[in-house]
Amino acid sequence: MIVADRKPLEQISSMIEGNNKILIVGCGECVSVCMVGGEKEVEILASQLRMAAGKEGKKIEIGEATLERQCDKEYLELLKDRIENYDVVVSMACGAGVQFLAEMYDHKIVLPATNTRFIGVTEGEGVWTERCRACSDCVLAETGGICPVTICAKGLLNGPCGGTNDGKCEVSKEKDCAWTLIYNRLNKLGRLDSIREIFPAKKYNVQTRPGRRIHEAFKEKE
Amino acid sequence: MQYAKKLLDEVGIDSRRVEMFNMGASDAQKFTGASDKMTERARELGPNPITAKKP
Amino acid sequence: MNEFEPKVVAFCCQYCAYSAADLAGSMRLQYSPNVRIVKLMCTGKVDVIHLLKAFEGGADAVFVAG
Repeated sequence: MIVADRKPLEQISSMIEGNNKILIVGCGECVSVCMVGGEKEVEILASQLRMAAGKEGKKIEIGEATLERQCDKEYLELLKDRIENYDVVVSMACGAGVQFLAEMYDHKIVLPATNTRFIGVTEGEGVWTERCRACSDCVLAETGGICPVTICAKGLLNGPCGGTNDGKCEVSKEKDCAWTLIYNRLNKLGRLDSIREIFPAKKYNVQTRPGRRIHEAFKEKE
Repeated sequence: MQYAKKLLDEVGIDSRRVEMFNMGASDAQKFTGASDKMTERARELGPNPITAKKP
Repeated sequence: MNEFEPKVVAFCCQYCAYSAADLAGSMRLQYSPNVRIVKLMCTGKVDVIHLLKAFEGGADAVFVAG
């Protein structure tokens, strides 16, 4: 899932300043799960903005909407009529959602209410950690299912480096050494021999930007 | 409760205006105590800044 | 302007705090008349948004009792 953070209220307030009709659009996918941009958070932000405006003696009109997803046109289309009643749109989705919304309604000012952080997992209640860097050339088969590109602070493919210290990383004592984790996992799996394999230099050329993928079944059409 | 306090502080509403109390069904005094405490605190902090601006 | 009389909203669990409030009445205990009680099936139902909405609606203080 994509993990994000909500921007501080102050920053959101200053972005929308001068506008009286604001539509806040939440997203029902990842940001809903990591509790920054779902239906509930839309309500909270709306309430905060109304209070902040009330404190200044101003009156603003805030609309609230939460879509299934903001990364699919079919869902964004549902806003078609409603969006016209507002001056600005604040999206609580990840960066991709914000951009797609802005692209679809390019005559409206679309502002982000979140800072998109990483692709991760729910480690515990309210705790999320990064697991994938979207490097386009997965090595998990050889590393016991632990990604050195993401977990190792230096992204080393042939670790560990000299900075490994009792299973911790020299960058921070809080961080686990990815290569110690990999060694232990491979040991458990009886596959330690695979750690001897030397990875060639990483193929960075596959990380084209912006990424684009066309499904085989749809290549004809292109 | 902490989250609510943070959200209120962000808006500029003193987070001391919100509190949580635990009590049992037979704790009448605890309830009156909580009521008086919060009323007192509201008096100290003055009117809610949002409504204060309304005519 | 009249003297400021705060509005206090109390979110009460019907089994504990609401009963406690009821008992306070039966016992003829004096307490602040500024408190408006919202009875809930359980205070576990209280969400941040309810607290925010109470302030938005003009509450001067809010407490959850359960």
